[in-house]
Amino acid sequence: MASTAVHKVTPTRLIRWRQTRLGLLFISPWVIGFCLFYLYPFFATLYYSFTTFTGIGNPAFTGLSNYSGLLHDATFRTALFNTFYYTIIEVPLSTVAALGLALLLNLNVRGQVIYRTLFYIPSIVPVVASSLIFVWIFQPSFGIVNSLLSDVHVNGPAWFFSITWSKPTFILLGLWGLGQPMVIYLAALQGVPKEMYEVAALEGAGPWQRLRKVTIPMISPVILFNVILSLVLSIQYFTQAQVIESPAGSPGNSTMFFVTYYYQQAFTDLHLGYASAMAFLLFILVLIITVVLLKTSRRWVYYENEGR
Amino acid sequence: MQTVSPQVTSARTPFFLILRGRRTVQPGQKERGSKAAPSQRQSARRSRVLRRLGASLGKHGVLIALSAMFALPLIWMAGTSFKTAQQALALPVVWWPHPFLWSNYPDLFASLPYFRFFWNTFLYAAVTIVGVCISSSLVAYGFSRLRWPGRDAVFYVMLMTLILPFVCTLIPLFVMYKNFGWIGGYLPLEVPTFFGSSVFSTFLLRQFFMTIPQSLSEAARIDGANEFYIFLRIILPLAKPAMATVILFQFIYCWNDYLGPLVYISNQNSYPLSLGLALILGEFTTNWAWVMAGATAATAPIVILFFFTQRTFIQGITLTGTKG
Repeated sequence: MASTAVHKVTPTRLIRWRQTRLGLLFISPWVIGFCLFYLYPFFATLYYSFTTFTGIGNPAFTGLSNYSGLLHDATFRTALFNTFYYTIIEVPLSTVAALGLALLLNLNVRGQVIYRTLFYIPSIVPVVASSLIFVWIFQPSFGIVNSLLSDVHVNGPAWFFSITWSKPTFILLGLWGLGQPMVIYLAALQGVPKEMYEVAALEGAGPWQRLRKVTIPMISPVILFNVILSLVLSIQYFTQAQVIESPAGSPGNSTMFFVTYYYQQAFTDLHLGYASAMAFLLFILVLIITVVLLKTSRRWVYYENEGR
Repeated sequence: MQTVSPQVTSARTPFFLILRGRRTVQPGQKERGSKAAPSQRQSARRSRVLRRLGASLGKHGVLIALSAMFALPLIWMAGTSFKTAQQALALPVVWWPHPFLWSNYPDLFASLPYFRFFWNTFLYAAVTIVGVCISSSLVAYGFSRLRWPGRDAVFYVMLMTLILPFVCTLIPLFVMYKNFGWIGGYLPLEVPTFFGSSVFSTFLLRQFFMTIPQSLSEAARIDGANEFYIFLRIILPLAKPAMATVILFQFIYCWNDYLGPLVYISNQNSYPLSLGLALILGEFTTNWAWVMAGATAATAPIVILFFFTQRTFIQGITLTGTKG
C-alpha cells in the first residue's frame, strides 16, 4: 500500500482491482467447478425434491408430497434410526479410542515406530478389502472370531447377519480403521509445548489432571475438526454396508442406513424426486449438527491467540 | 474448517518425527539429587529401577495386546489366501497354511479379469492425478500467494463444500452426465478433478504455499516477472514435496473409490479394482481362500506403497488435519 502514495496517478482501487482479477483468474477453475458441480446440482436437488421425476422426461411439480411421504415412510424412519445409532456410538467411541491410542503412542517406549505403523496400517486398507476381511473373520460358522469364542465356550452371534449384531459389527469395522484421526491426534500431542507439562508437574498435577487441564485444552481445536469430519462422514455411511449386505439393508432392514435407502430409491426404484427430498433433509441435518457443534465449541475449544 | 489458530498445533513439528520415535522427557522421571545415605540411596535406586521396569513392561503389554488386535485381521487375511478351500473352513482353525498354496492367486486372476481391473484403476488414477495437480495448484495459489478482498471468505465457501453430503448433488449430476452421454465411462469421475473438485488437495497445497516466504515472490515481481511465471518457475518447484503428497493421496483415493464407480460404471470390463473386488463376495463366497486372495492383492500394493512413502503420507495428514 505504500507504493500507492508514490504513484499518485494510480488510485488504490485500480491496484486492488488488478489484484482481485489476478486472484480470480487463478481460482477460476474452482469457480467454474463450484458452479457446475456444486451450486447448480444443489439447487436442482432442491427443485427435484418438490417433483415426481424418473430421470426420463421432465420433472412434474408435486409440491410437498415427497416430504409428507417421508413422514409416513416406515423404512425411512428405520434408516434414520440406524444412521443415528451408528453415528451416536461410532463417533464418540472412535474419537476416544483414537485419542487414547495417540496418547499411548506418544509415550516414550522403545520400538514405538513399530506400534505406530501397526495401528495405522488398517486405515489404508482399501475399504472394499477391509469389508471382505471383516465378513470373513466374523463369518458365523467358520470365522475366526466365533471359533475363538467357542474355545471359551461362548456361542458367537451371526454378526453381520444378525439383526441385533449387524450394526455393532459395522462399528467394530469402523474402529479398526481409526488410524487417520489417531495420527492427527498424535501430531497435535507432539505440538503441545513440553514446558507446560513441566510446570503442571511442578504444581503437583497428576497424570489425569495433566490430561484434563493441559493436553485436552491444547489439542481441542484438532478434536473439534475431527469430530465434525467424522460426524459428517458417519451420517453418510454407505460403502461398507453396500459391499457386505445383500440385499441392501438386510437382515430385516437392520443395516438400512440413510444413504443406503437413498441409493435404493434413486438408482433402483428411480424415485428421483423422493430421493432428492431425502438428500435435502440430510443436508439440513448435517447443517444443524455442524452449526450446533461450532456454537457449543466456543465453550470447550481453546484458541491460544484469542487469549481466553 | 473453522478458524483454528495455527499456533496451537504442531505446524512446526517435523512430520517425520511423528512416526519415528521422539524421545520425550517424562517430568516424573527426572533425576533428583538425593541427600539420603548411600545404602538408602542404593535401595531407592533399585526400587526405582524396578518400578520403571514394571511400568515399561506394562506399557509394552498394553501396546502388544492392542497391536495384535489391529494386526490379526490382516494376518488372517493373508494366511487364508494361501490355504485350500477346505482348510480355510477347517475347525478348529488352522493358523499356518498347510500346504502353503500359491495357486489361489493365479486361479482368481484367471476367473475374473483382474489385470483389467488394475489397469482401469491405474488409468483412472493417472488422469485424475493430472487434473488435480493442474487445477488444485492454480487454485491454491490464488488462495494463498495473492491478496485480494474477499479471498478468505471464498476460501471458506470452498471448505464448506467438504461437509456438503455427496447425495445433495448426485441426482442432478447424474442427469447432466447422462445428457452428455458420459454414463458408463470414467468422464464423470475425471472431468471434475480438472476444476478443483479435490478440496483436500487444494487445501493441502494452500497450507504449503503459505509457508513459502512472500519475499521470494516480491523479488521476482520487482524483476518484472508476471504472476504466472512466478507460480510456474518459483513456487511450484519449491512445492515438490507437497505435490508428491497430493499425487500419493489422489492415487490412494482412486484405488479406494467405490461409490463413484458404483454410480457411473456399469460394464464389468470397465470396473476398477474396488468394484471388481466387491464382485468376488457375491460370486465366490464358497471359496474364502479366493476372496482373501483378492483382498490381499488389493491391499498389498497399498501397504508396500505406504512403507516406501511414509514421510509423504504423514506430512499430508498432519498438514491438513492439525490446521483446521
